[in-house]
Amino acid sequence: MSISSKGFWFKFIDILPLLILFVISLNGSSVINVNLISINIHYILVYFWVLRQPNSLGYGYIFLSGIISDVVLGLPLGINALALLFVAGVAAYVRVVTVRITLINDWISFIPALLFANFVYFISLYFSGYTVEYFYLLKNSIFTFIFYPILWIVFSLIINLKRS
Amino acid sequence: MDTSRDDVGISIRSAFLRKGTQQRFSLFALTLISILLIFLESIDSKPLNSVRSIIKDIVYRSAVISNYPSKLFSSSYEKINSHFSLYNRYDDLLQENKKLKNEISKSDFIEMENSQLRKLIDEQTASYSDSESARVILDKRSPYINSFVLNIGYNKNIKKGMAVLHEKNFIGRIVDVNYFSSRVLLITDLNSKIPIISEPSGNHAILSGHGKSNPTLEYLSENHKVQDGDKIYTSGKGGIFDPGIPIGEAKKTKDKIEVKLYSELNQITFVNIKMRNLKK
Repeated sequence: MSISSKGFWFKFIDILPLLILFVISLNGSSVINVNLISINIHYILVYFWVLRQPNSLGYGYIFLSGIISDVVLGLPLGINALALLFVAGVAAYVRVVTVRITLINDWISFIPALLFANFVYFISLYFSGYTVEYFYLLKNSIFTFIFYPILWIVFSLIINLKRS
Repeated sequence: MDTSRDDVGISIRSAFLRKGTQQRFSLFALTLISILLIFLESIDSKPLNSVRSIIKDIVYRSAVISNYPSKLFSSSYEKINSHFSLYNRYDDLLQENKKLKNEISKSDFIEMENSQLRKLIDEQTASYSDSESARVILDKRSPYINSFVLNIGYNKNIKKGMAVLHEKNFIGRIVDVNYFSSRVLLITDLNSKIPIISEPSGNHAILSGHGKSNPTLEYLSENHKVQDGDKIYTSGKGGIFDPGIPIGEAKKTKDKIEVKLYSELNQITFVNIKMRNLKK
């Protein structure tokens, strides 16, 4: 009995990043907007897991969650998917070129990921005929960057739970 | 120097082209598919629209199910809150009831007078029987899109461009129709531009959304006479919407004129879609 409950717990921890990914896409809560603060949880989630544990978050799932986000938020299909794949791409590149994983390394390398993703987002929206609010994009990038360490700690706890 | 450039190239190739362990797709292939999808979005063809409709319908229904726990949580929170404020609200309601009772007789008279005058000028008033009721199933807003998803679509003859009302007030238009769902672009959206007329000043303008709660009046003539409290209605210019649908009241600020909407967009569950727009 205890073995099966332990097995269930391990399985749950294993699929937790995937669950969070799809829940935030379906709920349309991938970007949290509270007054002046705007944080893109989707980017942080994808960046962290592709960098630290790529087996937990397949590229296919990331693509699918981007498509779901596009449908729920009413954007043209493919925009969020493309931005998320760029975040995953930068994370995969950083994983290949770095040896030691520290919060500071992760945090600094998150800057190009954010810049690439928001640039792709901006270009795609612009060519799809959507009005783009530059200030919002800047604000979103800054707060997502600032918020990264908090989620880094939370996700690292999940990884530690899995190991223990 | 060459070696370091080679290293970067190898790392990029490894990150984008190689399928990692347990990865079924390469990043490069998925990126290409995403770009293709964005490109296909601009193409309007029947088979593509059908596929898009099916995908959207499936995602909307899944989103409704996934939203259920959070909706349940927020509705229980609201219930508890309203329970605690019951006492204060009771006093307010008593006073409001008194006031309304006094005004009922007055409004009855005005309504009767209004209908007589309409008959007199032989105006064709649109009846609300030409509207279809729908339920808001998803209300997820992004800074780029302020919209609702409704539970009816082609199955109830909904078409793009139809006006959407909350009670009798204009709140937006249909921008996307699927088989069993449709999307309403709200007047607060960045991309929303509605021709309006103000009353009693009689000035024409365009009501522009900014992604925030209050849209503003643009393209007003230089010597306009719009004042605080002026009523804002659809003007019917361009023949897209019927004229005279109420929207809100003008509110002058420092450098612009905002419109305070009659309907609170956060609190809408049911809407009416006007099935008969002027332009066919």
